[in-house]
Amino acid sequence: MASFILNGQPVTVDADPAMPILWVVREKVGLSGTKFGCGIAQCGACTVHLDGQPVRSCSTSISQAEGREVTTIEGIAGPDGELSKVQQAWVSEQVPQCGYCQSGQIMSATALLRDNPSPSDDDIDAAMSGNICRCGTYTRIRRAIKVAAGQETARTEAEGEEA
Amino acid sequence: MNDMSPEDKKPSKLAKWSRRGFIGAGVLAGGGLLIGIGVRPGNPIGSLASKVAPNAGEQLVNSWVKIDMNNVVTAIVPHCEMGQGAHSVLAQMLADELDAAWDQVQVMQAPADGSYVVSDTARLFAAPFTLNAADWLEPTWDGLFTQLGKSMDLLITGGSSSIRTTGQYQMRIAGAAARQMLVGAAADAWGVPAAEITTRDSTLTHEASGNSAPYSEFASAAADQSMDHTPKLKTRDQYRLMGRSKARTDIPAKINGTAEFGIDAEPDGLELSYAAVVRPPVPSTTVTAMDASRAETMPGVLQILNMGNFVTVVADSYWQAQQAVNTVQIEWSASDSPVRTMDDQFAVFAAALDEAGETGGNQAAARGDAQAALADAASNVEAEYRAPYLAHAPMEPLNCTAHVADGKCDIWTSTQVPLMARSEVAGTIGMGTEDITIHHPYLGGAFGRRLGSEYVAMAARVAQATGYPIKMIWSREEDTQKALYRCADMSRIRAGLDESGAMVAYDSVFTQRHDPAEACVPAIYNIANTSVRVAEAELHLPFQAWRSVDHSQQGFFIESFIDEAAHAAGADSLDYRLAMLQNAPRHKAVLEKVAEISGWREAGGEGTAKGVAIVESFGTIVAEVIEVDMSSGKPKMTNCWAVCDAGYVMNPDGFRNQIEGGIVFGLTAAMYGELELKDGAIVQSNFHDYKMLRMNEVPNIEVALINSGDVPVGGAGEPGLPPAAPALANAIFAASGNRLRELPIAKQFT
Amino acid sequence: MRNRAILAACLLTVMVTACGSAEQPEVIEQIVVRERGAAPLAAAVSEGGDDLVALGEDAFQMCTGCHVIETGAPSSAGPNLHGVVGRVVGGLEDFPYSDALTASEAVWDDASLDQYLADPGGYLPGTDMLAGAVRDEETRAAIIAYLAANSVPSE
Repeated sequence: MASFILNGQPVTVDADPAMPILWVVREKVGLSGTKFGCGIAQCGACTVHLDGQPVRSCSTSISQAEGREVTTIEGIAGPDGELSKVQQAWVSEQVPQCGYCQSGQIMSATALLRDNPSPSDDDIDAAMSGNICRCGTYTRIRRAIKVAAGQETARTEAEGEEA
Repeated sequence: MNDMSPEDKKPSKLAKWSRRGFIGAGVLAGGGLLIGIGVRPGNPIGSLASKVAPNAGEQLVNSWVKIDMNNVVTAIVPHCEMGQGAHSVLAQMLADELDAAWDQVQVMQAPADGSYVVSDTARLFAAPFTLNAADWLEPTWDGLFTQLGKSMDLLITGGSSSIRTTGQYQMRIAGAAARQMLVGAAADAWGVPAAEITTRDSTLTHEASGNSAPYSEFASAAADQSMDHTPKLKTRDQYRLMGRSKARTDIPAKINGTAEFGIDAEPDGLELSYAAVVRPPVPSTTVTAMDASRAETMPGVLQILNMGNFVTVVADSYWQAQQAVNTVQIEWSASDSPVRTMDDQFAVFAAALDEAGETGGNQAAARGDAQAALADAASNVEAEYRAPYLAHAPMEPLNCTAHVADGKCDIWTSTQVPLMARSEVAGTIGMGTEDITIHHPYLGGAFGRRLGSEYVAMAARVAQATGYPIKMIWSREEDTQKALYRCADMSRIRAGLDESGAMVAYDSVFTQRHDPAEACVPAIYNIANTSVRVAEAELHLPFQAWRSVDHSQQGFFIESFIDEAAHAAGADSLDYRLAMLQNAPRHKAVLEKVAEISGWREAGGEGTAKGVAIVESFGTIVAEVIEVDMSSGKPKMTNCWAVCDAGYVMNPDGFRNQIEGGIVFGLTAAMYGELELKDGAIVQSNFHDYKMLRMNEVPNIEVALINSGDVPVGGAGEPGLPPAAPALANAIFAASGNRLRELPIAKQFT
Repeated sequence: MRNRAILAACLLTVMVTACGSAEQPEVIEQIVVRERGAAPLAAAVSEGGDDLVALGEDAFQMCTGCHVIETGAPSSAGPNLHGVVGRVVGGLEDFPYSDALTASEAVWDDASLDQYLADPGGYLPGTDMLAGAVRDEETRAAIIAYLAANSVPSE
């Protein structure tokens, strides 16, 4: 049995203590927003927060979450479902393409901005280089982080119109 | 509004529809095509309606549109959404012609049903040059391609084709036709001339009489209206949604974890078991012996199966299944491929090229007399290029959920080809296609990989053998090492230059030609004598189209070579290209614009240099300039400028996002992409050794668009990719004098 | 003429894709370990809770995404850990360690592994080991015991 706090709710599941958090959350709890990408902590698609720190849930066993707080993509919006600043920026900058890696990207960006509300480009590189986006949305992710940090203004839909 | 009691009305109206028929004769002037392919004689309209408009009050206006009682317009789109944004833009195109209120438009994935076969895509795939065939040919081609599409299961998403075929020839026409029918119904009810009725925001208005009603009020009556086979489409100045950067409809679900991908399938009422697999390390080999004794003792394990061409463990969780299958000792049959290493593969290519010599092989394109012109030229330039095998590596690993019971099979999977997948499953488990249902949610990337369906058939076999509903997931290692691949190739190119350095002859020979057929031809350039030859050679790894397909190698070969010729001629590489584009005003404009926005003619920073390349692919012309900083001795990409002419861009921001992604995909391959072979098996296994560009490595990217107008609309998903590798290699040459004739680049600077 | 030639060429490609694997291999062997819903095998549950090495072997499963421990097996994302106890940090030939590990001249022992596993990036800043921190002290001790057991030449 493993007991932990998932997105603010206490959860107890019957799982092998060595099973990674990723598979416990997806298969045992049924929250599928956290994604499997590589299984070896190389791509970041599975990023969740463990006591607020971003970890690769594919390579972190559920035994390490015992009694601790796990936050997934489903848990970062406000209590009434209002989008976080990072999520809002992801919409305004129209970041996602296939969207598969974006849960992990948003979790990494959320942790970055909480610890460092005004990150430099180097800070963004350091925090985000563990997250692969195969569709290649990196320039938009960078911009969205700056928008969420208030360093750049959000794009409006009218922008980008051609003459 | 309450006259829409569906039970007794719907069937009769739909029957009338199919009799009235948007029949095969529904051909448009100027190369257009049929309206709503689902609605022609003999088609199962009733069953179609039950699939896409099953709820009370929903009215299927034609096979691409339904309108419900709350005035919500649903665009039923046949293409899958794999990140390219087609769902949104196709809905935008339909809604614009329909004058629908955008905030009341929803998108629905068309079911995997023959009625939604994408006949225009079939045409594009089968005969790319005939899309604008003469009008008199249309009925013939149309009949051929609809039949072809059905028999070949072409409900396909690929070829950067959704907007330029389905969007232009089906969604817009469906929207315009539906609008006319709604107007006609309102005109009848109000007793006013149809021409006096205006439409906007899903509302019909007749100003003089003061009548106004939402579309939903006439959705039912509209189906009684006769159908104009050639509805008037909007002109550009009338667009309200097309040409605008409307926000994508799929993004809200993709930022909060609720978007459902194939791997997320949790079908109601089914208790899933999970399967992990091991496939042959060397292609086309089979299991000769299996020792699963350790796996049998591992927790969660239900079954271990030797399926002949793969081994699988079925367990209570995927993680347990994967742990267990990792411990199975498997012996594989010997391969009869002569290729054990990449050196062997390139030796096979070189032998084919040697045999073809200077004139042999199959002539793919010819103009003038290249051999004579080469002999007569003042000077010759020649070079040999190599491209490696590449994996698609979509972020969502291959997976499929399958349930076989009571003579039926249900499949949930991410696929670009649901009907082909259905046929493959049918053939594999011995069922009729009518008993197989494919459910296909969002794709976590595909890039051509999900045009193949072997993973779907594998899951169906395991579900059948175990009797359990199973979710099969390939590990990243399986996905990297045992899948289908962008082929390696080798190309030898020669050119003859006259005294001024101008290219008067071009000859190339290479071993791989798949799609598009014209990718290998430097057709944009005005070279009087051109010869393009294919000397076919065997591939060790199985082929699958990979984003931009042949353009991904040929773009590198051709545009690197043009750069070499420019250097030999002592010319600026961008000016050299401009000089060869004197008869191609669109290409010239693209190149001139990229020179302008990149500051091509201004000196860059210390240690930096720029390279340029231009490729037309999938109907879109893209020129890219890449700036590298070589001051550390290794290439660091600092900036990339791209200019694109797709004729007309339906959603500028979405288009830019695709081009940006294509550039990153191309640069990733150029810098890192390589699969090596050892004993015939792929060495690379996961993202630590099959590397991707990451946040700290991508350059700034600026994309500018040119809407040059009266040409067929070009694609977005692939055209950003082909110029990326040559522009980068050309920049490195400009900075260092180091000419890179093979990829990937990064390992050449360690 | 030209169109027809191209038509033929392209159809071939599409059809090859469409046809896929036509032959249907038989299921060669099907081992049913247990039926769904049946109790898990008792044998699979590790006995003797005080056998640290056995506990460590179980716990090591979470490391196997990146590490192998079989003698002579090629490293995967992380280095082969056979013989790691007593080995120089960053000491496996042919493995592309981070600069941080390459620079270190220390030798792995129980104490240094314990600190490293507790917080890899804290103990050796710059390490490529992004995941796999083992916070639980007992689990750490078990894993290290298992690593040590795989670091003595087997008789």
